Amino acid sequence: MQSVKKRFTGSWQLYIFLIPALVYFVIIHYIPMYGVQIAFKEFFATQGIWGSPWVGFDHFNRFFNSYYLGRLLKNTVILNLYQLALFPLPILFALSLNELRNGAWKKWAQTLTYAPHFISTVVVVGMIVAFLDPRTGLVNIMIGASGGEPVQFMQSPGWFRHIFVWSGVWQQLGWSSIIYIAALAGVNPELHDVAKVDGATILQRIRHINIPAILPAIIVLLILNFGSFMSIGFEKVLLMQNELNASTSDVIQTFVYQSGLLEGQYSYAASIGLFDSVINVVLIVTMNQVARKVSENSLW
Amino acid sequence: MKYTLSDRSFTAINQTFIVVLVAVITYPLIFITSASMSDPFAVSSGKMWIWPVDITFEGFARVFADDAIWLGYRNTIFYTIVGTCLHLFVLLPCAYALSRKELMAKTFIVWLILFTMLFNGGLIPTYLLIKSLGMLDTMWAIVIPNVAGAWSIIVARTFFRQNIPDEIVEASKIDGASDFHVFFKIVIPLSAPIIAVMALFHAVGLWNQYFSALIYLSDRNLYPLQLVLRKILIINEISPGGTMGAGEADSIVQQVRTASLIKYAVMIVSALPLLVVYPFLQRFFVKGVLIGSVKE
Amino acid sequence: MRARTVVVLLLAALLIVLAACSDKKEEVNSGKSSTDVSKSGFPIVEEPITLAMFAKQSPSTSDNWNGLFIWKEYEKMTNIHVVWEQIPNASLQERRNLALASGSLPDAFFTAEIPTSDILKYGQQGTFIRLNELIDEYAPNLKKILDENPDIRKGITFPDGNIYTLPTIYSPEFLAVRANPFLWINQDWLEKLQMELPETTEEFYQYLKAVQKTDLNGNGKNDEIPYGSPGMDLFVSQLQGSFGLGNKGPQHPFIDADPDHDQLRFFPISDKYKEMLQYIHKLYSEKLIEQSIYSIEWNQYLANDAERLYGSTVYWTTPDTFGPDRSVVTPPLAGPHGDRIYRSAFSAIAKIGNFAITNKNQHPAETIRWADYFYSDEGARFQYMGIEGVTFERTPEGGYKYLDELLDSPEGKYAGVSEYLYWNGQSPPGVVKQEYFGGSEASPESLAATEKIKPYLAEEIWSEFTYTADESRKLMALATDIEKYVNEMQAKFITGEISFTEWDKYLDTLNKMGLDEYMEIKKAAYERYKAN
Repeated sequence: MQSVKKRFTGSWQLYIFLIPALVYFVIIHYIPMYGVQIAFKEFFATQGIWGSPWVGFDHFNRFFNSYYLGRLLKNTVILNLYQLALFPLPILFALSLNELRNGAWKKWAQTLTYAPHFISTVVVVGMIVAFLDPRTGLVNIMIGASGGEPVQFMQSPGWFRHIFVWSGVWQQLGWSSIIYIAALAGVNPELHDVAKVDGATILQRIRHINIPAILPAIIVLLILNFGSFMSIGFEKVLLMQNELNASTSDVIQTFVYQSGLLEGQYSYAASIGLFDSVINVVLIVTMNQVARKVSENSLW
Repeated sequence: MKYTLSDRSFTAINQTFIVVLVAVITYPLIFITSASMSDPFAVSSGKMWIWPVDITFEGFARVFADDAIWLGYRNTIFYTIVGTCLHLFVLLPCAYALSRKELMAKTFIVWLILFTMLFNGGLIPTYLLIKSLGMLDTMWAIVIPNVAGAWSIIVARTFFRQNIPDEIVEASKIDGASDFHVFFKIVIPLSAPIIAVMALFHAVGLWNQYFSALIYLSDRNLYPLQLVLRKILIINEISPGGTMGAGEADSIVQQVRTASLIKYAVMIVSALPLLVVYPFLQRFFVKGVLIGSVKE
Repeated sequence: MRARTVVVLLLAALLIVLAACSDKKEEVNSGKSSTDVSKSGFPIVEEPITLAMFAKQSPSTSDNWNGLFIWKEYEKMTNIHVVWEQIPNASLQERRNLALASGSLPDAFFTAEIPTSDILKYGQQGTFIRLNELIDEYAPNLKKILDENPDIRKGITFPDGNIYTLPTIYSPEFLAVRANPFLWINQDWLEKLQMELPETTEEFYQYLKAVQKTDLNGNGKNDEIPYGSPGMDLFVSQLQGSFGLGNKGPQHPFIDADPDHDQLRFFPISDKYKEMLQYIHKLYSEKLIEQSIYSIEWNQYLANDAERLYGSTVYWTTPDTFGPDRSVVTPPLAGPHGDRIYRSAFSAIAKIGNFAITNKNQHPAETIRWADYFYSDEGARFQYMGIEGVTFERTPEGGYKYLDELLDSPEGKYAGVSEYLYWNGQSPPGVVKQEYFGGSEASPESLAATEKIKPYLAEEIWSEFTYTADESRKLMALATDIEKYVNEMQAKFITGEISFTEWDKYLDTLNKMGLDEYMEIKKAAYERYKAN
């Protein structure tokens, strides 16, 4: 084994490469990190975070004793798992797109499918509501034409999750596939040539060449996903929420927003955020361990 | 080369699948484009479904009449370019270094970075920091926070590990090349796809940025496009409840009318530039860019 | 250098910078009053002074207060130069907190919508200064109003006896601005159906049923919607009076006085409330109420109305939507027990958190004088109408109206006004008087509507209670869950998702949530409110 000194002198330049990033993280992220303690304090703006009085676990207790805790956890988790289950879709789409011959159509297909990503949440929800309107919405008109009763999609707890998740797929599919398309660009075309000569079908080539090539990216992205598991795009939920679908649409973030809004409850919101972060850490560490055991790819 | 039956049917199914998908995804885009040119009343009452009805360009006229829009465009373009360059400058060397086996304390550094993705000090300490660094009310408050994220660093690292064959690096080092040389002369040229993707992601993020501006900027001349558009659009939920102040009912009706009129135009105005840029980036996603050089 | 050393040095640097960047304690400035403040009249000071103020920027007000006509005029009059920092609505809460946290306090917060609990919190900290004596000495106009209206003084005094903020007051005579929204019924349709204006809930039900079967808007389709509004709470709010609920006004959405027992009541658990829900449930299940009422968007609602789909609605008196040409205001309906109260009228205190002076202010006396003008008759006119000849003119009847060129803006009626005046959407401190108010609440239609409901006005309207810091904290924790539950269950009972057989379970759950403690706090606050 080389001594530490030798290893260092051999590659000291690599450490220079790290400097901009480390400086950035230390200054912009670690210096303000003391703010995390506010979850255990009662925030008085004029006393600042250091000066505000300790209240220990009061905020956490308040959250855990809330009548709505069970529902919030359940909804947040289910919504996330649902979205996670659809994780392979952009991958499949990228693989599929990859098989198109290069040309104008391929470019168009990509541009059109990633365009929805740029539409703001407010407009997306506005469109959803318009399409699902019981009287004038396209969907209900079609239902009516085939003899059914109009469905109050937006007011039904049963429909909320599906509408939320699938509209998310519509919006993000193309965009999420970009990274996989880039990954596929790194696949050695010679491998494909060789395989074709050996008589492999397209499907076989995809399975045995493309997929293994992008597998590291897939695994890494999947694990990273768990790092933000407890945070859902809350603006969209907020816009779609109403008293009637609350039983499935009420999630942790919207609950915090609403109670935070009531009277500026900065520390209460912070404590729930901390709770979420802790869960995220547990998840990401677990998933990384799993990835290590099962494959050679992991975050660390 | 002959195509087998299995291949032909796959291609056919594949093509159909993509056509259907594109059609489904595109329909709402057409809706938005048509809505931006239609009378808002027709849109709200469900009369407009695919082609414009009662064509009017008042929405666009309103949006462009505001001088602030042009200023917003200028600012946002500037922030996006500067921010993306900074991003690449911070991200790429770091991700490359982390991909090299010989780097020590890798796990520690990765954790250091990952931790920031999971835990956050909060708005107030960050604001105080920005203030004490003198960045308040300057473009740096937009461009520096979030200049690099744990997510991009880790994904980029994976790419480097995956696509930069050790042999090349070893070979050049034996020839006497320094790490700098390897990085700039070999790795970067080979990494066009990942650089393009990271630049794109970051640029889009900056382009759509408004919250930092909302918090850190007071000088209207520095406002990015999204902030200007939000002001015009009054995107916030309008929920009067029972506590409407004097004059607020009127103002709400006005707002709703204005918003209906221009929200689709706003969408197009803010998204179009980015949509146009992507095809240019696509050329980097070409297969086999790496391969030529590995032969020796 | 070794990697490890680099890392250690970085960490050390982190600690050093951390220590340096920690917040400094607020330096408390004792408010000095300069001796050359004039006690009345203009200018307020001999030597010009500058004040920094933090203000909300509503979507309908100008974004350039520093160049606004009316502020420039006021500066000439007072000799006080105000530097405005305008904060868009969206980030108001964050920026306000940041201003408080970062030590860069303005001299005053103007229209910043400070929540009541924050007023007390920072008042007790000394960040917002005590105003009682300043008002007595330097705010003659406001003092007069407070002396003549002890209710108002009560409403802005906190349990510790201090007044920390100046209120936005609706002149007690100006009922129309306080009383909104109303129940509107389509007059044409009533006539076509040959029905009388409904006076009771039963008659209203008959009207709705009649509308449902027709094609009154003559478009060949039976698409009439007997009742619709942008949200169910508008309807519930109106109907409460027909069941004797909410009889102390809309600033208490869950509390009123039980007429039978003369004590504070949490009315969502009362039998009459249950009856009301059953009535609404009947309407909803028979499709007399627009089924998408809980999710409908504003623009959809306005579009429906423009297409003349609604037989009735609850809305404000905006001439664009429910003009007098076809709709008529219905006085409150009489419920099954004969209750007939219009309870949607606000107390005279519209907002309590829209003007506070901070301890950084070196000229508190001048600042109070500056704000006091708006409580005078002249000042109210100045704030809402502007300057005669420049922004408004007198009408032959002796009234006031904006000049035509102001009203002519393509952006809408008030956009032109906002280029000169700032009041739109802001609720500034001062008094809102009928003669000077240019909003639609002062329109003839609105005034006529108000006359109709006047006889049914609730006897006593309570303004918001104030709480001690301790009560505040406990209340917030309880209120979040309790109020949320009431709202959700209300929706579920109305739509029939939960049947009324579960009523007892509903009561039970509320008790388990700590309803008793919630009421204890409210009672204590009420006792203080009564006593003051």
